[in-house]
Amino acid sequence: MGTLTIGCFPGLVGNMTYDFALKLADVAATKGHKVNIWFSGNATGSVKNHQKHLKDYSTGEKYLTALLAKGVEICTCEACTVARGIQKTDAIEKVQWNAMHWYLAKVHKSDRVLQIGGE
Amino acid sequence: MKLGVFVSDFKLTVDTLDRLKADKLGIILVMNGVYHATLKENGKSSSVLDKTSNLYALSEDLQTRGIKDSDVDKRVKVVNYGELVDLMFNEYEKLAWL
Amino acid sequence: MGENVKLAFIVQKPQYKGETSRLGITHAISYQTVEILLEDGELVTPTLCFVGEGVLGLQKGQKAMDMYGVTSSETHIKNALLVDLDVFICKEDLAKYGIPEDSLPDAEEMGADKKLQIVPYSEIQKAIEESKHVMFF
Repeated sequence: MGTLTIGCFPGLVGNMTYDFALKLADVAATKGHKVNIWFSGNATGSVKNHQKHLKDYSTGEKYLTALLAKGVEICTCEACTVARGIQKTDAIEKVQWNAMHWYLAKVHKSDRVLQIGGE
Repeated sequence: MKLGVFVSDFKLTVDTLDRLKADKLGIILVMNGVYHATLKENGKSSSVLDKTSNLYALSEDLQTRGIKDSDVDKRVKVVNYGELVDLMFNEYEKLAWL
Repeated sequence: MGENVKLAFIVQKPQYKGETSRLGITHAISYQTVEILLEDGELVTPTLCFVGEGVLGLQKGQKAMDMYGVTSSETHIKNALLVDLDVFICKEDLAKYGIPEDSLPDAEEMGADKKLQIVPYSEIQKAIEESKHVMFF
């Protein structure tokens, strides 16, 4: 089994690239791989808690919570997140907050890296 | 170098893709990139399909768009997410998302 | 001795409309502090490369701070040079868009030893091949 780190920049709502990243992470983790996810840019908006899942819109919270329960490490870029008005107290529990070097450190230890750029 | 390239758009990524060289190049069509595997613009298949013989399209993204496996160009192997993860770990050492 | 992991950061999108290209630069710069999360002797060595429309945001004299109150790409590039990143600019793409090589910034006045390196695409391909991971922005 290997380690996959996904850098995810696209926003939760407005396109489906984010959904792709989470589904890929879920399948890789289910297969037994170690998975890390780094959120930067608009993807950081997805760590806000109390998301309402309306069927016309993608949702992050229930999938992120499930990934965390599976042992996937998820970290959000602190600067990107607070720039969007989200504080740690408003965020999904167990999502880590750190700076960009968290991502590079995970990449250093990864067998595979998929950097998914944003809009 | 064994490079797996994710193509997620139908139009926007061809310039970069044209330049990438690898001993083994895989092209993985996901999201709107799957249209490369199915559309014949003005009767012609996408030039993306001529770049390598290692072509894959994500089943879930085909189905999402109402495309049947039978509509996919014969050169393209349809894979699901599980098979995609195996490809990423077993066939390609570097991955690029365009 | 820990592993030195080489990374290729390839900026291919233009600056300003989206933030992906800026984030590519700032993520590369963050190699400067990654050691706090690594074991002794482990290193990350990024090469920051600009190709395609990514070369459009490299003009010197940018006024993004004055116009919109945000840090310019020029400033980010200078910061990259200040932290001794290797920054490669694709020579063919500068020529394609008619961008003179002397219109690009340097960070000499800020005390940087490094300069932007205008290189043929083959050098960028080489950087991709020599890297353990490649990331497009």
